[in-house]
Amino acid sequence: MTEAATATGTVGRESLQARLAASPAWLADRRTAAWDAFAALPVPSSSRDEDWRRTDISKLHLERFGQAGPAGAELLELGRSRHGAALPEAALVVSGPDGTTAVENAESLQAQGVIISSLAEASARHPELVQRGLSRIGVGESYFTAMWNALWQGGAFVYVPAGVHAMTPVWISHLAAGGDAASFPGTVVVLDEHASLTLVEDTVGPVDTSPRLSVAVTALVLGAEARLDDIPVQQLPPATWHFSLRRATCGPAAHYRLLGASLGAQLQKAYWDVLLEGRGAEADILAVCFAERRQHLDHQSLQLHAGPDTRSNLLLKVAARDQAQSVYGGLIDVLPEAIHADGYVVNRNLLLSHGAGASGVPRLEIKANDVRCGHGTTVGHVDDEERFYLMARGIPASEAERLVVRGYFADVLDRIPMETTREWLVSLLDAEIGAVEAAPAPEAER
Amino acid sequence: MTVQARDLTKDYKFGFHDVDVSVFRTEKGISPEVVAAISDHKQEPAWMLRFRLKALEHFFKRPMPTWGADLSGIDFDNIYYYIKPVEEMGRSWDDVPDSIRQTFDRLGIPEAERKFLAGVSAQYDSEVVYHSIRADLEKLGVLFSDCDTGLRDHEELFKRYFGTVIPPNDNKFAALNSAVWSGGSFVYVPKGVRVEIPLQAYFRINSDNMGQFERTLIIADEGSYVHYIEGCTAPTYSNDSLHAAVVEIIAEKGAHVRYTTIQNWSDNVYNLVTKRAIAKEDATIEWIDGNLGSKVTMKYPSIYLMGERAHGEVLSAAFAGSGQHQDAGSKCIHVAPNTTSNVVSRSISKGRGRTSYRGHIKVLPKASNVKANVRCDALLLDEESRSDTYPYMDIENPDVTFGHEATVSKVGEDQIFYLQSRGIDEQQATALIVNGFFEPFVKELPMEYAVELNRLLALSMEGSIG
Repeated sequence: MTEAATATGTVGRESLQARLAASPAWLADRRTAAWDAFAALPVPSSSRDEDWRRTDISKLHLERFGQAGPAGAELLELGRSRHGAALPEAALVVSGPDGTTAVENAESLQAQGVIISSLAEASARHPELVQRGLSRIGVGESYFTAMWNALWQGGAFVYVPAGVHAMTPVWISHLAAGGDAASFPGTVVVLDEHASLTLVEDTVGPVDTSPRLSVAVTALVLGAEARLDDIPVQQLPPATWHFSLRRATCGPAAHYRLLGASLGAQLQKAYWDVLLEGRGAEADILAVCFAERRQHLDHQSLQLHAGPDTRSNLLLKVAARDQAQSVYGGLIDVLPEAIHADGYVVNRNLLLSHGAGASGVPRLEIKANDVRCGHGTTVGHVDDEERFYLMARGIPASEAERLVVRGYFADVLDRIPMETTREWLVSLLDAEIGAVEAAPAPEAER
Repeated sequence: MTVQARDLTKDYKFGFHDVDVSVFRTEKGISPEVVAAISDHKQEPAWMLRFRLKALEHFFKRPMPTWGADLSGIDFDNIYYYIKPVEEMGRSWDDVPDSIRQTFDRLGIPEAERKFLAGVSAQYDSEVVYHSIRADLEKLGVLFSDCDTGLRDHEELFKRYFGTVIPPNDNKFAALNSAVWSGGSFVYVPKGVRVEIPLQAYFRINSDNMGQFERTLIIADEGSYVHYIEGCTAPTYSNDSLHAAVVEIIAEKGAHVRYTTIQNWSDNVYNLVTKRAIAKEDATIEWIDGNLGSKVTMKYPSIYLMGERAHGEVLSAAFAGSGQHQDAGSKCIHVAPNTTSNVVSRSISKGRGRTSYRGHIKVLPKASNVKANVRCDALLLDEESRSDTYPYMDIENPDVTFGHEATVSKVGEDQIFYLQSRGIDEQQATALIVNGFFEPFVKELPMEYAVELNRLLALSMEGSIG
């Protein structure tokens, strides 16, 4: 059924053949196995699959999405300008929807021995490193992961050797396909022992309202005592279907920190997994999500405690306005070996209008004994009192809402270490909540 | 610290059974003929037979649930769906057959009645065999009988409410119950009447391969109050037994219903129960739900807050020893504005025991100014035990304050150390901590239940420290 349904689109055998021709043997084998798994897997269903229960994709028709062309000048400029505004010192990898990848400003990192290239190029030149990076991504583990494994192109690859602290951050700009086309962005990062890196992954697209498909995988592997600050920003255009898997695997005493923002797309299904495999591995996942209009943004997290003395903490703060829906599903899974595990997950929701909704299931599955785990969920609204307080000081209602939401997001955003990036993200959120320029200046400031 | 599993069944006080004295029973297995035989034997009105047969169709159509606990051990063809133990309803202890009376004596029912029971409605197999209502309750117009009698004597009232809270197609086991139900309690409290003493019923399974499908219907009319207590014990048998009850509660405007259960089925029983209450305007529903026994329990007492300012409380405690899976939880569905709900769940796993909290809070678009809170805590006593938490929430109205918090932890070494340093041995210290952990639940129980529960907990903790 999958075969027939996708015969005319880019998700089809023809695309696979083209990818196979351009891949080294090991990768071609992996793509073929992934395609076979994909063809055999049913489309996720909200009536059958627990983690899809609140996200219905029955209206997704893969056959309508064609092969993506190269990114236009305007889109390239958009990607570059965001890097320029937020973190100009970072090395830049621009990864286009058609597989074209450009690396800029990476000389100082390369001098440190850091490998930074397209994922396609790394697959040919450093197969063992890419294989290590993909070792925790099962070829056929799920419908969209199998699709990505078969069809990804271009992509970005970063390897930081043992003991190297990357001098500058790496900014990966994934540019989405044009209207009615599909892109398969991919990022693989491998940090060897004692290595450290700051990564920004910015996923954007052309500003229009035509439908497109984005299926992404980000695989992050942290060796012993490695440290990764990972800042994913998703601001895809309004009619995008976005399916992503972001999985960090942490060796002994590695520390993974995610500081993310989900802003765009029509429908997002994002899996954020951390696999704490080594003794004493730690993960902090802190993210904000702003959903408006009829956006449906779904986050699924996994905190897998496989090693002893592991610690994880997740905080997802969502604000939803208009008819937007936020869905959250989280699981803290503590395996029997993970003694002294410490896991926590909190999902907070701020509903800004009638019609907005939030649902969630923060699950705990504890199979070890000597653990400390917990979770929390809250749903609230902007208090009439808060609004009144601000308005009494001459701040108009729309501005009051923006201030409250900004304050709500602040405890996550404040933890972004780079000031320019933090300010850029705040300005993105401000723009999403309501144009600052459009609101009259607060009376109090005159 | 090493903690060893101890088999709770060794301490199972009620693990005896009497010689089977049943006088009428259907064939093993389920079919329209069996359902018709039950209805015929009870001389029910035609509408009830139609209801049963329709429910049976739903039961056959529905697949087994694939979530929750492992139910693969249930063999529907190897169960008696109806057994009638005695010909007549007993009106006093003297009328009840000796063997049955001995069973009740060992459960301490007469003692309990001597204390302050309002009425004893003891279910032996499928039918209520003994039933007394104190005269003052009758004077108030309170109806308290087994469900079959409720249907026979108050058909109009019964029909108005029966199956309205839990329709027969609600889930596979509610459908099964609707098809073969027998016994259970029927309670009606008239407008403005406060029943100051709790109504109690003991249920008991006593036949090998006997499924028990009691049906309880509680109607609290406007401004009334009632506290209903259900306690379950069962003798131990080698074959698995099935208990699939349905409990429906309707709290009319301003009514207050508290429903207390302490479930202590022996560890071969599959306990799959559907319990649901409707709270109208200004009404209050409280489920006090304790799960200690059974092999598998799947039970999620739920509250539909249909009227403005309705309030719901669920207070639950679960204990899972070796081989037990307590998959319990609660649902609060906020349909009307200004409704509030509060859920507190405490669970303990020991040995290879597994507890799961599975809950659902839903706030519908029209339910403004809702406050809902869910708190669940789990305690693991050793390396082999397991605890899971699945709290679902769906919020469709922005004007809501919802909080949920859960923790899972082991008995703290520092707590044990603290108590030991004050001369309390490790075993006693653990028992103290466990008692303290269940305290929010225990303090809501009538005294004799609280005493009994603490004793059961102490028994199950004995020898748990190696």
